[in-house]
Amino acid sequence: MCLGISLARTELPLELIARHGLDRCAHARGGEKEIQFLFRDRDPRLPVWQDGQLQIMRWGNSHGQSRLLPRTGWTWQETIDSGGWKNLDAVPVDIPASLGFERGVWYRIRQGIRGLLVLDEQNSHVVYMICEPSTHYYRVMTRSDRMPMLIDEQI
Amino acid sequence: MGNSRRDTAIGHLDADCFYVSAERVRDPFLCGKPVGVLGNQGACVIAKSYEMKAAGVKTGMPIWEAMKLCPGGIYIKRDFRWYEVLSRRMLEVMRTCSPRVEYYSIDEFFFQAVPQSPGMSLQDSALAIRDRVAQEVGVPATIGIARSRTLAKLISDSAKPFGALAVLDPEAEASLLAERPVSEITGISGQREKRLLPWGIRTCLDLARADRRLVRSLLTSSGETLWWELNGEPAQPIRANRPLHKAISRGGSFGETAVDPAVLYAWLVRNIERLIEELHYHETLVGRLSVWVGYNDGRSGIGQTTLAVPTDRFDQLVEAARSCLRTAWIPRAAAQRMHLIAENLHKREPRPLGLFESATEHNRAEAVAKVKRQVNDRIGRFALRSAATLPLKSIYKDTSNGYDICDIRGKTCF
Repeated sequence: MCLGISLARTELPLELIARHGLDRCAHARGGEKEIQFLFRDRDPRLPVWQDGQLQIMRWGNSHGQSRLLPRTGWTWQETIDSGGWKNLDAVPVDIPASLGFERGVWYRIRQGIRGLLVLDEQNSHVVYMICEPSTHYYRVMTRSDRMPMLIDEQI
Repeated sequence: MGNSRRDTAIGHLDADCFYVSAERVRDPFLCGKPVGVLGNQGACVIAKSYEMKAAGVKTGMPIWEAMKLCPGGIYIKRDFRWYEVLSRRMLEVMRTCSPRVEYYSIDEFFFQAVPQSPGMSLQDSALAIRDRVAQEVGVPATIGIARSRTLAKLISDSAKPFGALAVLDPEAEASLLAERPVSEITGISGQREKRLLPWGIRTCLDLARADRRLVRSLLTSSGETLWWELNGEPAQPIRANRPLHKAISRGGSFGETAVDPAVLYAWLVRNIERLIEELHYHETLVGRLSVWVGYNDGRSGIGQTTLAVPTDRFDQLVEAARSCLRTAWIPRAAAQRMHLIAENLHKREPRPLGLFESATEHNRAEAVAKVKRQVNDRIGRFALRSAATLPLKSIYKDTSNGYDICDIRGKTCF
């Protein structure tokens, strides 16, 4: 499981940062500013590439805002493959990320994470992070049995 | 610095936090940030940036301790294939800077220090070499130049990071040696350091000024060699070619603990197959085999055996190693690492069969080994391997486990 991501501030359009008040989530690491998106945030969100545009969307359904969607922020690739999201017209999306966060460990992500985008009953976009069983390395590093499905990368 | 000394000067290049620097060459995002490279299947920090070091993280520290000391640290999986590419690029550059270069380790080189252009001082030459490596390879390194290897290494250690220092004047050497604890000399630590303490030998200068015969009696002839070196007399040559191995070892950490004997046996067989590859490369046979197992409660076990005839045959080595493992195994204890050590090495050449060996069996084993090598050369390392390794499916699935630091050949040190 990946409990958060971080994206270099320079990767996000200034308009998007201002519109969503993302500077509240800004942190400095090695003198460079980054925006952190954590699932434990009161209002968890993720950056998502949709139709060639970077957008900020709600991450999962942790507070039960939707009665239709699962109350989590992740879904297994296996669930998608077995048609678990078929009735919700879910579409695959990319979640850009520079770093992933899991149980206190920040690790490098070169491109991003695979995600799944759905609409809830209020027509709001909701994104779920796709995960797969951890590799041996990821399990040792984070002690987690689930890892995010990375784009063109395996750790 | 006297001109007469110029011909005998020895240089030492040490890449600064090499694995992290290598990652930064291909990923500038990491520059200036606290970075740790993880080994042992992701369990330990095997290299850290200076930013992470400043937070108190040490090499070999488990990730769970490191992340407490440096919560903002970024962790990267080690990639020895990439590190070797940069290491060999550094070696190429060094060979254009010096007529004699020793490939000491993946990130360290000893070399005959010569002026980089007519009339250039060795101090300016150290700077020029450092800057060339940085420019052509992208890796920051520190250079030390001195009258001997041991002095050159101590000088480069003192000039880190990204330093370049030539010290050939005995007085300047003495003030530098006075500041360094004797344990900073490669080859002196632990018990050897304790042996020196009652004699008041605490610094490198204390050792250099000590009576040579006393040093020999305390530290044997290898200690005396260091004494000569500390006094500016080169006693260790620059080895442009790697000398023959006295022992070949394969193994390492499991990442997770192993209690199940089948998993332990799978690690044993994996290490045997890796060992056989290396024996074949060096055209060498094993005369004596040891299996060492380390457990997470601090205990360890070792089993040793002398083979009836020197061999590199899989079936014979498995049989021998299995009995060693039985001795090294502590039932119900959680094993964490294993090392297989091959000693008493013999050059591979046609030999008479052993008393209990049959020609048919021998030829069959040789044929199987040949097919295995051919398949793996063509399809990929470990594509064809023993079924005993099946419990380690996830280890083989991760291609980064297919190449380790010991697979980088030609280094004179580990």
